[in-house]
Amino acid sequence: MTLEKIYKKRHRRGLGESASGTIMASIPVLGFLIFGMIPLILALVMAFMYVPGKGNLAGAEFIGFENFKEVLSDYMFWQSILNTLKMAISLPICIVVSLIVAFLLTKDIKGRSFFRAVYFVPYVCCAVAVSLMWELIFNQNHGIINSWLGLTRETAIPWLTDSSTYTLCLIIIGIWGGTAYGIVLYGAALTNVNRSLYEAAKVDGAGSFRCFFNITLPSVSPTSFYLLTTGLIGALQEFTRPQMIGGGQGAGPNNDGLTIVFYIYRRAFVYNNQMGEAAAAALVLSVFILIITAINFVVSKRWVSYD
Amino acid sequence: MINARKKKLTTRDIISKVLIYAALVLFALWVLLPFSLVLLTSFKGIIEANSLDFHWLPEEFTLQGYKKVLEYDMGTAYEGVPLIISGFINTLWIVIPPTLLGLFSSAISAYAFAKLRFKFRDKMFLLLLATMMIPGTILLTPTYIIYNYIGWVNTPFPLMIPGMFGAATCVFFMRQFYSGIPSSLLEAAAIDGMNYFGIFFKIMVPLSVPALLAQALLGFIGGYNDYLGPLIYLQDPEMYTLQITMNQLKSYFAGRNVPAMMAATVISIIPTVVLYIIAQKRFVEGVATSGMKD
Repeated sequence: MTLEKIYKKRHRRGLGESASGTIMASIPVLGFLIFGMIPLILALVMAFMYVPGKGNLAGAEFIGFENFKEVLSDYMFWQSILNTLKMAISLPICIVVSLIVAFLLTKDIKGRSFFRAVYFVPYVCCAVAVSLMWELIFNQNHGIINSWLGLTRETAIPWLTDSSTYTLCLIIIGIWGGTAYGIVLYGAALTNVNRSLYEAAKVDGAGSFRCFFNITLPSVSPTSFYLLTTGLIGALQEFTRPQMIGGGQGAGPNNDGLTIVFYIYRRAFVYNNQMGEAAAAALVLSVFILIITAINFVVSKRWVSYD
Repeated sequence: MINARKKKLTTRDIISKVLIYAALVLFALWVLLPFSLVLLTSFKGIIEANSLDFHWLPEEFTLQGYKKVLEYDMGTAYEGVPLIISGFINTLWIVIPPTLLGLFSSAISAYAFAKLRFKFRDKMFLLLLATMMIPGTILLTPTYIIYNYIGWVNTPFPLMIPGMFGAATCVFFMRQFYSGIPSSLLEAAAIDGMNYFGIFFKIMVPLSVPALLAQALLGFIGGYNDYLGPLIYLQDPEMYTLQITMNQLKSYFAGRNVPAMMAATVISIIPTVVLYIIAQKRFVEGVATSGMKD
């Protein structure tokens, strides 16, 4: 009897490979079909419907492109896109800062694991706590910034309630919370950079700046690309921070904190009878994300090298 | 001459070292500043915390903030149980079961995708990968309508049940891990008469404990910090998760009692920070590996 036969015979005790595999693999697939596919189809249908109340499908009716017309002609929708993009300015800054910090951590220094541990802490902090922390810092009446600037109650700057400073504050908060992830990923990528490249460059007399730009940067470009792509998808769906800082349904001064998801949230869950518009806006956002991600992938061919 | 060159190089090295340390320390201060500020403010008195005349250390060390937060029960939530504690307990039982069950679902399917041959395997895997591309926002309204229809709104089910089926990112990560385990090991077990479920539980799981732990930690943190989901689905204060109680506490304490609000912030991040300190290595590993795709 060959091994193959023994193998097959013994196996008859349990389920065969094909059946076992299908059963095991199908759990997440099933979960997606139920909790992903069905809502996704409904989302596409809803965008073309008037849905009364807070999601009363029984009274819903088809109204064609009305929801899209309503959303796309809504001044607030365009402002929410602009607000979201403005807040996303923190993303490239985060990527650059985390690369620099991760790079410095590869140098021969003492206390590296301590620094690494500290830098990662913002990652485990929820956006809610982060918002509360920074509200304390930017507070008009007792915040540390106004105190450091030597301002009095009369001259104090209302950082988070004035339209001219609000977005800047949110960008700063975004930078603070956004570097931890990048530092870890870059840290892993930098240890994988081929050492012999540096040695060869040294022999050729290249300085450390040239080494950084010509060797390090291209070597970690897949990580940069990953951070940029996932970061953009996340940034376009920003919600918690502006919602928490605005407090309740408020969206900051002059609606500056109204991000796209916040806009969708308000239409769907705060106002009545607007689930259809919310679904249409979400669809527009998804197409937007899809286009940006596609552009990202196309452009990446020019600067990302997988060696 | 060689000596002089060597000496010059070392002074340059020293300068660059100093600069590197300065940068790293500054960055550490930047990261730690909000934490230390929140921690110190939580021990201040109400009047002191509400003044522009700022001092790092509390002039008068008081626990009134913590006391006030731990006394606040909104009247409606469980009698006598502070809102923040009931929020914490709710978070635990809403987050832990789906995290563990979801991890199991993801891991066992990852094993199948990595090591077994069955019909439609690659198509099913591609389908899972495609789900990672769907922006969560688009599902916001339709899922609400569906859960509303089956009576799940204002219950924790929408936050718990979907997660129990596993997550595509976790499947993806665990599949990478399982692909690295030599198939000869599994064949030996199969010859010994072990069926595929036995192989998964007796060989794959023990071999992947560190990876599973890292995924469990990340999953737990994700659930613990979730805000939008509980905000939409939980309406009764008895059911509020910790993040939502923070919202409630904010509208009650902000402006009135700053140290109490900061005490609440401290309490809310203690569990994750402690977890991070205990399992720091696992965390970082989990993040580093799940982010990398090559």
